[in-house]
Amino acid sequence: MKGSPQTKARASRLSERRGPALQNPFQEFQNYSFFTKSIPLDRIVQSTEAVMDQIRLGYEKLLEEEAKELVWMVQYNTIIKAYEVAERYVREIDYSAEDIEDFCFALENTQKIPYLIPGPAGLYISALCNYAKEEEIVLKLSELKTEINLLGFRLTKGKRLLIEGDGGDFTGIGLEGGDLVVEGNAKNWTGAGMRSGKILVKKNIGLHTGEWMMGGEIHVGGRVRGLGNIVEGKVFEREKMVFPGKVRPPNMYY
Amino acid sequence: MKEKQPKALMDSIWPRVKRKHLFPEIPVPKMAEAAEGTEIEAAPKEGVGLEMKGKQMTIHTAFLTQLKGKMSDEDAMEALLDHGITHYTFCPWDFYTYLMLYAESKRIMTDKDLAKQVANHFIDVVSDTHCVKKKKTEIPQLYRHLTKGVIEETMVSLYQEMWGMDLGCPPSGKRKKAREAAIRRLTRIPYLDRTRWPESMQRFARSIKPLLLEQQEEEKGGTGKGENNPLGEHDLNHYSHEEIDQGLRDYARKSMALPEFREVVEDLADELKEAGYSMEGGMGRGRGSPLDADVLFYMKLAESFSLPVRKTIVEKRGSLHPHSHSPWEVGSPYHDVDVWTSFGKIMPGITQIWKKREGKGRGKVEGVPDCLIAVDSSGSMINPRKTLSYAVLGAACAADAYLRNDSRVAVYNFSDAPMGGKEVLDYTKKREMVYRSLCKYFGGGTALDLEDLIPLVQGRKNLDLFIITDMKITNLETLIGYLAQINNRITVVHIGENPYTSRFDKAAENKKNISLFAVKRKEDIPNIVLGKIKEYFRKTF
Amino acid sequence: MEQNGYQKQVREIYRFISDHLYYNRPDMEVKGEHFNSAILLSLLTALNRGKELIIGEPGLGKTTSAEFVCTLVYQFPLGVIWGSEVSGHPEQTEEKIIGRPDLGKLNRGEEDVVWTNFSQVPVKIVDEINRLPETKQSMILDGVDRGNWEYLNEMIINDEYCLFATANYHDGGTNTIIAPLVDRFDVMVESRYPGANLAFLVGKKRRKDEILRHPRYEKELYRVLKSKIAYGKKMTRMEEVCNAFGEHLQEALGVKPLQRQDRVKIRAEMETLDLDLDASAFTRMLLAECSFCDRYGQKRVVENCEEGCHYTGYLCHDIKNCASNRLPTSMTQYAQALAWLLGDSAVDIEHMKAVTPYAVSHRVQWRDDTLSQKERSQRDDPLPIFLAKEAVKAVSQRYREQSDTLKDALAIGAKIFQGESLEPLDGDHPLYREIKKDVQVRRN
Repeated sequence: MKGSPQTKARASRLSERRGPALQNPFQEFQNYSFFTKSIPLDRIVQSTEAVMDQIRLGYEKLLEEEAKELVWMVQYNTIIKAYEVAERYVREIDYSAEDIEDFCFALENTQKIPYLIPGPAGLYISALCNYAKEEEIVLKLSELKTEINLLGFRLTKGKRLLIEGDGGDFTGIGLEGGDLVVEGNAKNWTGAGMRSGKILVKKNIGLHTGEWMMGGEIHVGGRVRGLGNIVEGKVFEREKMVFPGKVRPPNMYY
Repeated sequence: MKEKQPKALMDSIWPRVKRKHLFPEIPVPKMAEAAEGTEIEAAPKEGVGLEMKGKQMTIHTAFLTQLKGKMSDEDAMEALLDHGITHYTFCPWDFYTYLMLYAESKRIMTDKDLAKQVANHFIDVVSDTHCVKKKKTEIPQLYRHLTKGVIEETMVSLYQEMWGMDLGCPPSGKRKKAREAAIRRLTRIPYLDRTRWPESMQRFARSIKPLLLEQQEEEKGGTGKGENNPLGEHDLNHYSHEEIDQGLRDYARKSMALPEFREVVEDLADELKEAGYSMEGGMGRGRGSPLDADVLFYMKLAESFSLPVRKTIVEKRGSLHPHSHSPWEVGSPYHDVDVWTSFGKIMPGITQIWKKREGKGRGKVEGVPDCLIAVDSSGSMINPRKTLSYAVLGAACAADAYLRNDSRVAVYNFSDAPMGGKEVLDYTKKREMVYRSLCKYFGGGTALDLEDLIPLVQGRKNLDLFIITDMKITNLETLIGYLAQINNRITVVHIGENPYTSRFDKAAENKKNISLFAVKRKEDIPNIVLGKIKEYFRKTF
Repeated sequence: MEQNGYQKQVREIYRFISDHLYYNRPDMEVKGEHFNSAILLSLLTALNRGKELIIGEPGLGKTTSAEFVCTLVYQFPLGVIWGSEVSGHPEQTEEKIIGRPDLGKLNRGEEDVVWTNFSQVPVKIVDEINRLPETKQSMILDGVDRGNWEYLNEMIINDEYCLFATANYHDGGTNTIIAPLVDRFDVMVESRYPGANLAFLVGKKRRKDEILRHPRYEKELYRVLKSKIAYGKKMTRMEEVCNAFGEHLQEALGVKPLQRQDRVKIRAEMETLDLDLDASAFTRMLLAECSFCDRYGQKRVVENCEEGCHYTGYLCHDIKNCASNRLPTSMTQYAQALAWLLGDSAVDIEHMKAVTPYAVSHRVQWRDDTLSQKERSQRDDPLPIFLAKEAVKAVSQRYREQSDTLKDALAIGAKIFQGESLEPLDGDHPLYREIKKDVQVRRN
């Protein structure tokens, strides 16, 4: 019972055994209070980091679901499925265009993101672009060492995506009315399966350009290495329409 | 209120500012008055308020005059001091940090002048933001009233966003959109997290690059004279020779990448020479020979793996003499009793005996012997001027250890020696010459010429030999035969295993003076070499 | 914080020594004032009852600087100080250092001790202490530490004393100073070469020490020291003679030395000066870096620092041994003394940073690779002091970066000790770990 003589005696014996009270070596800091001035930068950096964590988490979950053992094959059904998964995670995040760009660079930093698998990464970025609040998104990727495939997948009408740098394979495939500009080169399968919209590649483009293209336009400022099986739409090489036009074999020499 | 003289004003505010920054180790700042008859606008560095040379800050009164009416002298001076001190106490703090930031900036900018400019802007942003966040400062006021160029306007707009203050700089002009985009990116960077500065520097450079390139284009048509930073430029004048030396050493050690190091040193070669920095470090006399970045890399790296200087020993003579007293105990002999200190008494507690010791003197001083380093630079070895060669690094460590102890080093750099693929450097204490010889690469076949080696070894009683090779030597038998005849201490470090190494192993089995090390990881070479040297030095003393 | 004007008096003593007796350049700056470290630290040692090790090349004023300070602070004529010095050489004996039997009484079969001047006089100077063999160094350990001198089962205890020991750099005739003895010195300072011009001046002004001598008072003091009266009474009598000598000095030279009651008051004033929070946190930070080892619990000279340890960026990686408990005592005492002299109301970081290198330099054993990287650096100080200054600079930079967080961690520690249920702060520095350990003890 509280306060009983036995309890008090026990407490007293305990305190005797413990010895005299420990001296507080931090006594002089007792009244110190840490006041730190907050500036908007703190809030901005904190929220940026939080958003980046969410984006990173979404990407990791995408890899978990779609790239088991880190292997991912580019096929029609895998692309669709991976994009759907990416959409699911991306919808829940509140981010800006700059976050997308930062994510692209974070992909190269293996300490932050251990695995860069170009296919799922490109789809994830495409989903981020499609669901971004901004209508125009500029991704400054000229310093990026790796090429990301599948950028601009299903870019919707009303959206403009400007890539400063080079695109990888499958750039702008499945375009759905959006406006995609690549300041550098694009590789193979550019614009494959696009339905509508416009792709402008300011430098060179690879093989199978516009494969199964259903509509829209592809403008190339440099050389077109090879056209794919185009159903409908237009392809321009240096302002000269090459499709519909004379059929020509792909150029293997440059 | 009567205006205080600048010097008096400095004396009154300096103690307060110093305390605010927790007493940095920098001297009292000086005031520089404009020369009589000189217009204020034509001061030596137009519009520059603060200069730093070494740790010495100088404030130009002409700059304070420009701010009259907008800001009090006291506030302006305090703001300038806060800015200058924070460069010392926070960013960049040391030369290594400056090199690191420059290197990261260069990755993005590719042009060295632009890279320097960007690095300097980054350093300013970090320092000023740190100061604004952590201390009570008038830096924002200063920026509000400064005359700003194009880039400065962008920076000030950035500060507005980051610090949450109106600095009188709304985004305007023809590049408003581009500037706004840049500022949006720039505000997201964690400037105050030192651990992320490399990454932040790259992001900063990427974001500001378009603006700088545009400005560069515009300036091409103009005078070509860039805007002076009113808060002072960052250059090698901020650092002493020791700090530059230490910074290069740290950079070599932390990057361990020769191409990176070379790029940075070559970019800064002019400034290093202006600052009087020479290959041997410290004060050079005038411009002298050009800095060889590759050689400097190995030199600095070897200094990180170094042994302390051994003091010269004194020899013991062998004869005993009385040295000191100790108490006599019952049972101890009487013949060592010191009668005088014992007061003529033989009793415990009173009587003292002499303890005798060998005499010492500086007779023949052995010291540290000279060293001959034979390094293989055949085609199977790495070219030390392309990537980091641990073989050359190991050789450099050996050279450094012997040179530090005031011994001489000779170098025999061989590839296909009989065909002329060799470099023979006679015994010397000149560090630069030794390293240049070590860094030479022939890339041909592998054969030694004993006629080169013999003169370097013959007649020298105490000589240590270090041979670093992959053992794929065509005349290995000849070498084995020769080494078996000599009694010098020989350390052979060979990389990897092959039939030749087992042959050498067998031949050297019974020779106590030959130590053979097979190295699986090249990274182990320097430690092996130093370990052996430590052992040698221990035996010598 | 000038209460009784003693600061002014001590500054005058400093000025007198530097203008007339010990010519040298100022080599340290504190709060905008420039001092010569040898004179300043010797003065503080004398005032504080400290122990100082003065190193330097032969003939650069190691012993004379100590003698001048002792004369003016303790009012002993120079002749008495000369007669009380112990010189380090291998043939020193306990009888020459501490005391000897009274021979007359010994022959009669009685035991009585004749104490040496060295053991009796409050100012103790050991010249070239590193020439004493290690056995003799051990002998004076206890006396140096506590002022207890024992011989033939008799003891005298010095109430007030200060010790100055000089040492040349290591050569064929020197031994190492044993570690327990080195640790007992509060500070180590170098008596430097004054430069060619001042050295020339020294050469011109011969026998300048004559002004600090007085044959009559010296004779009187020797008589008192030799007398058979009780030690306590001897001290009282000596004080009277010293006071008279002090008055003579004031008349003849215009500088007023300090009497015993002055010194007592000065020490009392010094002790009232508290360390401000920054000075306290900085000191703790330095001590943590000097003693912490993540792998082995604490630094030990027999245990090597392993590569790949998380704490390689801290001082604990560069040093071999653990900081002793005498280090914080020395640091605090000298910082308080300096703050007092400068008239400040509290001890701050600048005072701490000024004295710490001198308190640390002789106590730290540096690792070989640290030595080899720094030994060829351009410097004005001898290597141990230079390394200590560099270390203090590095620690203070680290402190500047995280002072707020550190103080916050210490504040939380205080609150936990008071019984609040808070979690100690996490941080990279060893001090955070130390705080956690202390807090854990409290919780257990």
